[in-house]
Amino acid sequence: MMDQPAFNHGQTMAFLELQALNKRYNAVVAVEDFNLSIQRGEFVSLLGPSGCGKTTTLQMIAGFTQPTSGSIMLNGRDLGAIPARKRGLGIVFQTYALFPHMTVEQNVGFGLEMRNVPSHERRRRVSDALDLVHLSHLGDRFPRHMSGGQRQRVALARALVIEPELLLLDEPLSNLDAKLREEMQLELRRIQQEAGVTTLLVTHDQSEAMALSDRVAVMQSGRLIQEDSPFDVYEKPATSFISTFLGKTNSLPALLERAGKRTQIVIDDVRLAGPQTVLANGPVELSLRPERIELTDIDKATLSGDVIERVFLGDHWLFRVETPIGKLLVMQRNLGRRGAEIGERLHLFWEPEAMRLLPRGDVS
Amino acid sequence: MNRNGLFALCFNALFALFMMGPLIVVIGVSFTPTGYLEFPPSAISFRWFRAILDNPDFIDAAWISLELGLASASLSTVLAVPAALAIGRERFRGRDALQALFLSPLTVPTVVLGVAFLRFLSLFDINGTFVGLVLCHAVIVTPFVLRLVLASVTGVDRSIEMAATSLGASHWTVFRRVTLPLILPGVVGGWVLAFITSFDELTVTVFIVNPSTTTLPVRLFSHITQTTDPLVASISTMVILLTVLLMLAVNRLYGLDRLLIGGEAR
Repeated sequence: MMDQPAFNHGQTMAFLELQALNKRYNAVVAVEDFNLSIQRGEFVSLLGPSGCGKTTTLQMIAGFTQPTSGSIMLNGRDLGAIPARKRGLGIVFQTYALFPHMTVEQNVGFGLEMRNVPSHERRRRVSDALDLVHLSHLGDRFPRHMSGGQRQRVALARALVIEPELLLLDEPLSNLDAKLREEMQLELRRIQQEAGVTTLLVTHDQSEAMALSDRVAVMQSGRLIQEDSPFDVYEKPATSFISTFLGKTNSLPALLERAGKRTQIVIDDVRLAGPQTVLANGPVELSLRPERIELTDIDKATLSGDVIERVFLGDHWLFRVETPIGKLLVMQRNLGRRGAEIGERLHLFWEPEAMRLLPRGDVS
Repeated sequence: MNRNGLFALCFNALFALFMMGPLIVVIGVSFTPTGYLEFPPSAISFRWFRAILDNPDFIDAAWISLELGLASASLSTVLAVPAALAIGRERFRGRDALQALFLSPLTVPTVVLGVAFLRFLSLFDINGTFVGLVLCHAVIVTPFVLRLVLASVTGVDRSIEMAATSLGASHWTVFRRVTLPLILPGVVGGWVLAFITSFDELTVTVFIVNPSTTTLPVRLFSHITQTTDPLVASISTMVILLTVLLMLAVNRLYGLDRLLIGGEAR
């Protein structure tokens, strides 16, 4: 991990500051009252389903879309008055957007050429950038003769060579196959830290957002709904939408009751010991991650149920178990033993604190 | 590999023959030693090719057609490229009307166009001039350029241009360094199609030429209305030969597939 920048000390303005950003297309609200601060050197992900306004936000920062209102401040400069070509941001597009008629070196050198960097210095910086992405041996190739992962690296080198104050990544890994995507996640993190560049990633892929970023900002319907470290967003989702959007979860409607200091969860006619919560008694949404459910013996079981579906995923099994409170997804690490068969009875145990209670009725 | 069956082979062969037949007849006739159109020729003779040299008005007409084709194809390309960029990617009021306007010469009968041009050019007193011809031909060939350029414009990934902008390129630089190279197959293809269309345009042109600006098609047409000697065949053969040479050169330099079917740049 790199040194954590000191967040939010005093009143110093953040490196990138989005304030009350709005974007409306006629009657359609794409982005609404969006506020986000990013510190220098930080890697932040904008995460949300398609159509949530994350790409529009990126386009506004890049200068390709004009905000309806609000301001974008980068390192003390108001970007609103600066045209896209003078903002000096590095952008990696979902389609990589390489210039197909130029070689890798010409692609990477384009931004330097636009800045009238003398040719000997240009050559040196292009070769440094290609070194950074491990592509120095392919400088005279054309993009169409390269694999998806290689193109991705060229796009990254092209964006970084101009030494941008801010790197914007628009779904950069979504066009790669699963295995390459995992490799590139690590690679992207390494490159970002080596270059030390402040980065905003836009993605709908929660695992990508969690793997890469210092902070995750979750968007839904044009609004920012939670902003936290990947661990906290996953473990303490603010809404049931987030709990289902990030990773897998069992989301169940339940009733919260208190008996003295203890809380109880009531689902149908089943009563379970509940976790500590600040929520008031009444209807709540219960979120229980499948990996928090353990298989145990009958005498220790919280609940029991029959396996109705099972999937083997290599490193773990995923069971769907019919229990008195409904169908539950249960994850079991693969320890080299055969998993339970369909119809087999499983005894399930989880700590009361594994259940997260969320207010009922938020839009999702 | 999936090979053609016997039926498909026969069909393809007949189709090729059907397409090539008229050309074969014209080329055959041009080698006749007789003074009338004879096919197959009874002997091989270059009499009617030598006759071309004795008719300098045909050679002059060929030069005019060539210059006219170059000028009108280039003019229409200069007009159609910005139009295609606007129509192909912007959403604005009157966009459909603008596209319809640019494509309308295709839908108006050419005879009607010819009469209209005749009246129109007379108003400005440029009827029969080379400039008048260029303007009229530009109108006729613009739809061809527009459609080909439009096709390549819609194939360009906008984010490539955004990438160039984000790297600091001005509008003009983005166009010159990125957009134009990417739509070049459509632009070159449209230009060639425009040139060919202008070169053999007859119906409109007969209305608006005068003796000093007679084009090759008009000259040939007036020749065969008077006589039926094989001179038209030998001139046609020369045009076919030049076309084949041009296509070979284009294929060598650029690739015919890319020109006519379109494809990835370079």
